[in-house]
Amino acid sequence: MNPRASAVEMKNIVKIYPDGTIALRGVNFNVMKGEIHGLLGENGAGKTTLMRILYGEIKPTRGEVRVFGKKVSFRGPWDAIRHGIGMVYQHFTLIPAFTVLENLYLSLSAIEKVSLSDVEERVKNLMEKTGLKVPLDAVIEDLPVGLQQRTEILKALLRNAKILILDEPTSVLTPIEVKELFNILRKLKDMGITIIFITHKLKEVKEITDRITVLRKGKVVETVNTHEVTEVDLAKMMVGREVFLKIEKSPPKIGKKVLVIEDLWVKDDRGLDAVKGISLELHEGEILGIAGVQGNGQKELAEALAGIRPIIKGRVLVYGKDITHLSTAERYRLGLAYVPDSRTIGLIYDMTVTENSVLTNLSTVLSKLMRILWNRARSVASKIVNEFSIIIPSYDSPVRYLSGGNQQKLMVGREIIREPKIFIISEPTHGLDVNATEFIRKLLIKLRDRGKAILLISTDLDEILQLSDRIAVIYEGKIMAVGRPEEFTLERLGLLMGGVRA
Amino acid sequence: MLKAIRDRIRAKFEDYTTTTIEIVASATIGLIVGAIILYMFGYDVIRCYSIVFTKGVRDINYLLTKASPIMMTGLAFTIPMIAGVFNIGGEGQLYVGALTSILVAYYTHNILLAATTGALAGAGIGALIALLKVYRGVNEVITAIMLNWTLYYIVLYLITNIYYDPTIPHQSIPVPEDARIGYIASPWGSIRATFFIGVVLALIAYYVLYYTKLGYLLRVSGLSPRSAKYAGFDPNKAIIYSMILGGAFAGIGGALLTLGYVPYIDTTMSIVFGQGFTGIGVALLGRNNPIGIIFSSIFFSVLIIGGQMMELLTGAPPELADVLTGVIVISLALPYAYRMMISYVRTRRMIQ
Repeated sequence: MNPRASAVEMKNIVKIYPDGTIALRGVNFNVMKGEIHGLLGENGAGKTTLMRILYGEIKPTRGEVRVFGKKVSFRGPWDAIRHGIGMVYQHFTLIPAFTVLENLYLSLSAIEKVSLSDVEERVKNLMEKTGLKVPLDAVIEDLPVGLQQRTEILKALLRNAKILILDEPTSVLTPIEVKELFNILRKLKDMGITIIFITHKLKEVKEITDRITVLRKGKVVETVNTHEVTEVDLAKMMVGREVFLKIEKSPPKIGKKVLVIEDLWVKDDRGLDAVKGISLELHEGEILGIAGVQGNGQKELAEALAGIRPIIKGRVLVYGKDITHLSTAERYRLGLAYVPDSRTIGLIYDMTVTENSVLTNLSTVLSKLMRILWNRARSVASKIVNEFSIIIPSYDSPVRYLSGGNQQKLMVGREIIREPKIFIISEPTHGLDVNATEFIRKLLIKLRDRGKAILLISTDLDEILQLSDRIAVIYEGKIMAVGRPEEFTLERLGLLMGGVRA
Repeated sequence: MLKAIRDRIRAKFEDYTTTTIEIVASATIGLIVGAIILYMFGYDVIRCYSIVFTKGVRDINYLLTKASPIMMTGLAFTIPMIAGVFNIGGEGQLYVGALTSILVAYYTHNILLAATTGALAGAGIGALIALLKVYRGVNEVITAIMLNWTLYYIVLYLITNIYYDPTIPHQSIPVPEDARIGYIASPWGSIRATFFIGVVLALIAYYVLYYTKLGYLLRVSGLSPRSAKYAGFDPNKAIIYSMILGGAFAGIGGALLTLGYVPYIDTTMSIVFGQGFTGIGVALLGRNNPIGIIFSSIFFSVLIIGGQMMELLTGAPPELADVLTGVIVISLALPYAYRMMISYVRTRRMIQ
């Protein structure tokens, strides 16, 4: 095999979504035949968009894709599969109630006529060759995640995948399973299969790949040979910043200890440990920023603190009072406020501005007979709207008619109006334009100066660095380090977020 | 107050107009398709329709009395729907409410007690479905469908074997004269109070849904269970409360039927059968709004009575009247399907 032949060539790929978001700004991406190629970048860098284009799920706005030297324009994933591309998603696409064999049969029968015994024979051959052993008669939902993932890989290989895309394959695995996966990947590589490995974990990308392409904000920073770079180099490339949006900030006036988290354990929706023994303290008048790549337990941490998600182990104290077993409503009454990372949770799009304004503080607009005093609700709404200069068509318009920035202001404003003492806020400026972003960030500083305690959870490093008085880096449900912003260089943050102790 | 209402109408003007257009358009489509079917079977379309819409509304008392139970079963569908639960069990809940009201009225002669126990019986069935869903994860549609038939045969057993009328054995014991809902004088002749009770209850349902904490909880949970959790509500409670309320309304529907229309159930069950299912159509036509349901129940009542008259006068098979209502219900679902298709196409375009 000619090692220089390329498997994938993507030239000058531009992707602009209809809402104007520019996901990719002219990306050139080359993968050689038979190599393991790492695709590294922060959230929103464009990794997934690029791979979805390669897999035919979405079409590029501009640019050219070549697979094994042939120019292609896929009409859908089935088209990509036919050209020998296989994809293993972070969230598996298996039917939980079917056995492994049935799942494999299902996926194969979609593209060719086969019988169940045919499939069984081919799978057995394939397992022999690759060492990817999975019990064929086991029902998927009974299998550990590692074996489910193997089934996914088998599925792709059965369909004759020559190029295998793995999207964050290790995020769901235990360390031993990761080791096993890497052994399999090496074997597949020896068999001549090209592998694209999407990740944000520096150690892993260094261990398994031959070459690495680093993406940042929709552009390729560099494509490098793995053995020529260090983890520090990679971290620098991944997080490197141009200019900071500077926000005036006085030194914090730290007050009393407000929130204490002791050895907190929380599970995610799949029942896996997402928060693994986190301990933190938060004081009046400070912003504690939780930095980390998405999906490292931030959401579970925030929801556990708000009482939405059960706490498996550990304690949460507010002003010394144990709130571990209190309900969400009781916590809100104690002065805790939570702004979720998604507006689809924090707002109800089909309800009016007024109705949304009282979602988390309904009790303040109730009469003794549990009647909603809509006049009072309306004045709450107008207070939020005026204070935060929210532009609305009318108070009786459904929230879905508001722009994203105004929706965000409404969601954040609603919590501020309640005058909470503790503020847990996730991705406060996600998807907002520069003005709205600046507005909300200044607001958070103002709140802090008024003595509120703010736990800021953000995957946006700029935001963390600008606002935080202290920073905690979260990785795989654990806190890697806590310290003042001066104690962190960008490289160190990048390394910590990538799971490397520094 | 007036200004507030005006602002509200202005803000939702677009919504209101599209809803009105949708309702009128789908009713028209229904009537056109119905006309084609009538024509195909060789009936005089114009004569049939003129019978439906003149004879259907001739006796206002009959029309409104017949509208009342389906107004209640309409609410029995709508309230859970708003909380995100599909209550297809209005049928069985109505059976139970009807029989309970008859029995209580027969033994106590107390009309209020009879109606209340009827409501409670329906609420109990609703609660059972909700509890199975919340604590055992059983799909409410399956439970409700099975319960409908279970209750059908239980009620049938009871009225044929235990609570039958000794003088007319194919009927249940009757609601005594002094426990029946009376008449109210009106410009259109005397009208049974049944309908007005129904309207008051529908208005109460509207009030509960849009002016109380409970209603807010139900609406939030129905639109977005995750938001409900975030707001500190328990979406499971919303499921249970809404099914209790829905069951109660279906139960009252049964009470209105027996206390205010036909004072017994006969062993063909024809008096109670179908009232719950018709309620689903009523709710859909009323766009799941209690006020809308008041009007749609009258419209359905016109179709039902007019359809019977059409059958009587032209010899058209009774199924044709059902076909007509069926087509209208389907065409009412069309705008929804249409909107889903548009948004599907739009998202496809967005992806590409």
